[in-house]
Amino acid sequence: MTIEFLILTILGLTAYSFFLSKRKASALNVINPLDVHSQPHYHGLFSAILTIAPAIILLFLWSWLENSIFKSNLESYFSDVVDPYKVNFYVSGVKSFVAGASDTLMNHSNFSAAVEYYETSTKMSLALKSIVIVIITLIAFRYSLNLVTAKFKARDLVEDIVIRTMKYASIFAIFITLGIVLSLLFETLRFFESVAVTEFLFGTHWSPQMSIREGQVGSSGSFGAVPVFTGTLLISIIAMLVAGPIGLFSAIYLSQYASNRVRSYAKPIIEVLAGIPTVVYGFFAVITVGPFFRDLGIFFNIDGFSSESALIAGSVLGIMIIPFIASLTDDSLSAVPRSLKEGSLAMGATLSETTTRVIIPASFHGIVGSFLLAFSRAIGETMIVVMAAGFAANLTANPFNAVTTVTVQIVGLLTGDQEFDSPKTMSAFALAFVLFFLTLILNIISLSIVKKFREQYE
Amino acid sequence: MSESLKIAVKNLNVFYGKKQALFDINLNIFSNEVTSLIGPSGCGKSTLIKCFNRMNDLVEICKYDGEVLIDGENINDTSTDPVSLRTRVGMVFQKPNPFPKSVYDNIAYGPKLHGMYKNKDDLDEIVVSSLQKAGLFNEVKDRLFEPGTGLSGGQQQRLCIARALAVNPEIILMDEPCSALDPIATAKIEELIEELKEKYTIVIVTHSMQQAARVSNRTAYMHMGELVETGLTKNIFSNPEHAKTQDYITGRIG
Repeated sequence: MTIEFLILTILGLTAYSFFLSKRKASALNVINPLDVHSQPHYHGLFSAILTIAPAIILLFLWSWLENSIFKSNLESYFSDVVDPYKVNFYVSGVKSFVAGASDTLMNHSNFSAAVEYYETSTKMSLALKSIVIVIITLIAFRYSLNLVTAKFKARDLVEDIVIRTMKYASIFAIFITLGIVLSLLFETLRFFESVAVTEFLFGTHWSPQMSIREGQVGSSGSFGAVPVFTGTLLISIIAMLVAGPIGLFSAIYLSQYASNRVRSYAKPIIEVLAGIPTVVYGFFAVITVGPFFRDLGIFFNIDGFSSESALIAGSVLGIMIIPFIASLTDDSLSAVPRSLKEGSLAMGATLSETTTRVIIPASFHGIVGSFLLAFSRAIGETMIVVMAAGFAANLTANPFNAVTTVTVQIVGLLTGDQEFDSPKTMSAFALAFVLFFLTLILNIISLSIVKKFREQYE
Repeated sequence: MSESLKIAVKNLNVFYGKKQALFDINLNIFSNEVTSLIGPSGCGKSTLIKCFNRMNDLVEICKYDGEVLIDGENINDTSTDPVSLRTRVGMVFQKPNPFPKSVYDNIAYGPKLHGMYKNKDDLDEIVVSSLQKAGLFNEVKDRLFEPGTGLSGGQQQRLCIARALAVNPEIILMDEPCSALDPIATAKIEELIEELKEKYTIVIVTHSMQQAARVSNRTAYMHMGELVETGLTKNIFSNPEHAKTQDYITGRIG
């Protein structure tokens, strides 16, 4: 019996229990249908849950238990090895050999014995597990069928289980978020053990390369993150300069001036922009926009125009975030009650006067919200800047120069083989943490702006 | 009462797409009078009133022919500028729709749009006198710079009337102005209408026949997009010529 077969059996029993209980509940013999507390499908659902729940719990418990037992037993075969990493290495060697993932018999006297032990005991365990689980599932199945009576409150129980499930799902999501933040925080703190916080936050020289051997040239990397963050800021600002006006104006046109027909075609087309994978934007930046700006630079005799520049990355990034601004701004402009628009037009205002004096002020919070959302998208965007911005950490405000961003540096620091205890690698976590912190502050600001305007206008 | 013709509607037909909403309307509206339009829902009262300030232009599928003459000038002419027309013909809507601005800015909206003042004092003067004309000044004089949306429903509606008065219109259109208000607020608006007709020509759409009887000099009864009967209010309510009008005002249809 394989594990797949076991799972299929459990699922089959679960489905069967649903139908049997449902049928039994529909056939309950009562004079007044209202005397049956729960509808048949609630009985079915509760029986199904009751059938499958012990099996799932048992399956997890068993697997967890057997893993720890096997691990300690396997380790005892290699008790003569001192290095714990080496022991681990042998243990996983045995596991992958038995699983058929490798066919190397490792060079240790007890290796084949360990393989034999692991092979027989996993088989035993699986057989035993299958039998126990199937028996328990059958008992639960039988028991759940007995529960189907007119008085049994299956509906309440099912509702309770559903509510609990939703509650645990949200708790899970919160804990995952917390976990991500904490893991980032701890790695960041470890980084700050080797590099001073002030150097990281206020240093203006970023060159994280460390020597591999002692005494090599440039042995101590420098971790002043200011150029990295100014690069991010420069590119994001360029992106907003591109996306802000284009997004805002197209939103105003679509929501106020365009006929319904034009709107019904144009809005989905703009939203398609949001669905393009960012790597495609990267291509667009490198192949089309880059050469275009370089030629433009040559034409106007601008010095120091590299083919990787803040301008190129920023403008393509801007194109990427147009739909965020256009779509959300359009939504909030359209949400302004028609009565306000009519009221203004009836006062003899033109459509553009109505838009600037009534509709935009009334939807200002939504517009600000969409801008800030787009801005935090721009800050966190990675692929386009990796392809178009470059890795050189220049501290400059000149959009024609190559700059680097936080995300680009993180990619650079963490790709390839890395030692996970060197400051070079750890600096990626510090960068990510600061980035996270900045975006968080941005979100808090935008929420408070939205709230303030909502209070004013509602 | 000197009867001078303010609005003359001649052979007006209005279509929404393929559906005809108004059929060959002929109607005279006189200066310094209140004319009420009554009739069952969907009979075209609101459509007709919106022909007087060309608000129907906002509806993409709306087409119309025939003439609407205001002081003898056909406003359906392509040469008429709807923007300047609407400064002469103010409108108050069914639901109070103050802008999400302060009371002051609501009133100042029109004068600012059309540059109707020389300095801040002028503007203050316009705001105060408009609020006074709308009978709202004493209630809001301490709250001029608080949001207009914070006023009560009846106050909001009078704010909208004051807003319309601020640009000195000749005609005020009211599209069921009291339908969202309680009886006390309604009574205040009706008093106000009574005062306003001294200076303005008022056209009011209403579902309440008592209201039409109370406030208007003339009444026009509409049914299924046609103007059935028009005349002095007292005649329409005491001695209607048409059976349909009789049925409606006695509550047999509608």
